[in-house]
Amino acid sequence: MSALAAGRSVNQPRESNPWPEVLSVLPVNIRKIVSGAGAEVLSRTEEIRIRSKRPLMLGLDSRDVMLSGEGRPVNDRGQAYLVGEEDVDRCLHLVSGSSVYALEEEIRNGFITIAGGHRVGITGKAVLEGGRVKTLKYISGINIRISREIIGAAAGLMPGIIDRERGTIHHTMIFSPPRCGKTTVLRDAVRMISDGLPEFGLPGQTVGLVDERSEIAGCYRGIPQRNVGLRTDVLDGCPKAEGMTMLLRSMGPSVIATDEIGRVEDVRALEEVLNAGVRVIFTVHGSSLEELASRPALNYLFRLGVVDRYVLLGREGRAGVVKRVFKAGDLAEMEVAKC
Amino acid sequence: MLKLLGAVILVAAGGAAGMLVAREYARRPEELKSLLSSIQMLETEIIYAATPLAEALVRVAAVSDSHVSGLFQKAARELRDMTGCTAGEAWERSLGWFYTVNSLTRREMSILSNLGRALGISDREDQAKHLKLACEQLKREIARAEEEAAKNTRMWNYLGFCGSMAAAIILY
Repeated sequence: MSALAAGRSVNQPRESNPWPEVLSVLPVNIRKIVSGAGAEVLSRTEEIRIRSKRPLMLGLDSRDVMLSGEGRPVNDRGQAYLVGEEDVDRCLHLVSGSSVYALEEEIRNGFITIAGGHRVGITGKAVLEGGRVKTLKYISGINIRISREIIGAAAGLMPGIIDRERGTIHHTMIFSPPRCGKTTVLRDAVRMISDGLPEFGLPGQTVGLVDERSEIAGCYRGIPQRNVGLRTDVLDGCPKAEGMTMLLRSMGPSVIATDEIGRVEDVRALEEVLNAGVRVIFTVHGSSLEELASRPALNYLFRLGVVDRYVLLGREGRAGVVKRVFKAGDLAEMEVAKC
Repeated sequence: MLKLLGAVILVAAGGAAGMLVAREYARRPEELKSLLSSIQMLETEIIYAATPLAEALVRVAAVSDSHVSGLFQKAARELRDMTGCTAGEAWERSLGWFYTVNSLTRREMSILSNLGRALGISDREDQAKHLKLACEQLKREIARAEEEAAKNTRMWNYLGFCGSMAAAIILY
């Protein structure tokens, strides 16, 4: 952390401690093993993977490690703690608060959001009804993705996207390959826009947040578990396209934020929002503008030419570092919009 | 005179003992009925409102009769503490305590115990089946307990009184 902190004494990002909430959904024996892994490993842990009859694993930022029965990271699978069926069952019990019946929709979608906004992915045998997944049974794999709130993660992003003349933000697209911190940065950007940044001439804006996968605000029973700002209305678990239109009609937002735009209907809804005079900030998966432009839905968005800022994030030392900010004009030069 | 006083005490004690046993028989159907209505409330919470289990148990405890509310309250507390126990275990622990403070039989306890093992682990459809089953079984137990109560209440009332009267006459 000291290397990261160097040169960032002001506005140093602060990270929340996710462990109390995460440990509380692990069975007691696994709780002990994971706690035994040590602070250094835990601070780098992004995922806990519990797969029936396979070694207990932690997904770190750069690789994954197996854990022994005492919590020691090991490379030999013979020494690793083998997860039993009972462990998985128990974990599912704890994750669901022993209320599987109340989470039918979530299980159908393959993930449950727990208190603290952490996402728990589950796999098992799909039960179909009329060709669609009705539910999952024989749950055998659980992946707990630890969501870390980093207050100040968007500090590098904000100066580039504020529209000082109008006292709001530009239409912004944040893009990066997976695991580069898009969601973390978007969450913090929403917080800053909502609270306002007087030093940059940005008064607090009413933000409408469509959080389809409950990852941004980390809502647990409808209440945001993450700090998403004073003036943010969250539509939790709602499909993006529908959600944006709903917010537009009902909550009178000045800015609408959402995660992972990619389908044609998302772009159509976005177009409607753009035409309504509301600013948007959203994220997209992709490593370059050229790659984005090759996807039909996004290509259409480029051709509309309304998004003003395209922000590429990277992972340099930590996730969520702004690598480059493209302006709409740059795109014309790069001829991305025409491809 | 002393003899007469002894006889009166004997009859009174015998009568009271008989009445106590009789009251025990009369209490069971009442307890079972409140248990049934609490489980029906739990069913509503789970099936129609899809309330998370810990919360559903708290709500049921709040509106249940005082002598059964403890069962739900204790189970909810165990679940809420997030000590790593499952709903089945929380229910079982609460049931262990409940057994010591009421007049339910082993058969009735096993109905509740079976219900606990299924609580919260499956979808609504399946939960509905388990809850319905427990309700049906409890209804049968209520009918049986009422029958027993009708038979035994009167018998014990008479038996206590008449038995002690006979003993008093013999001793006199």
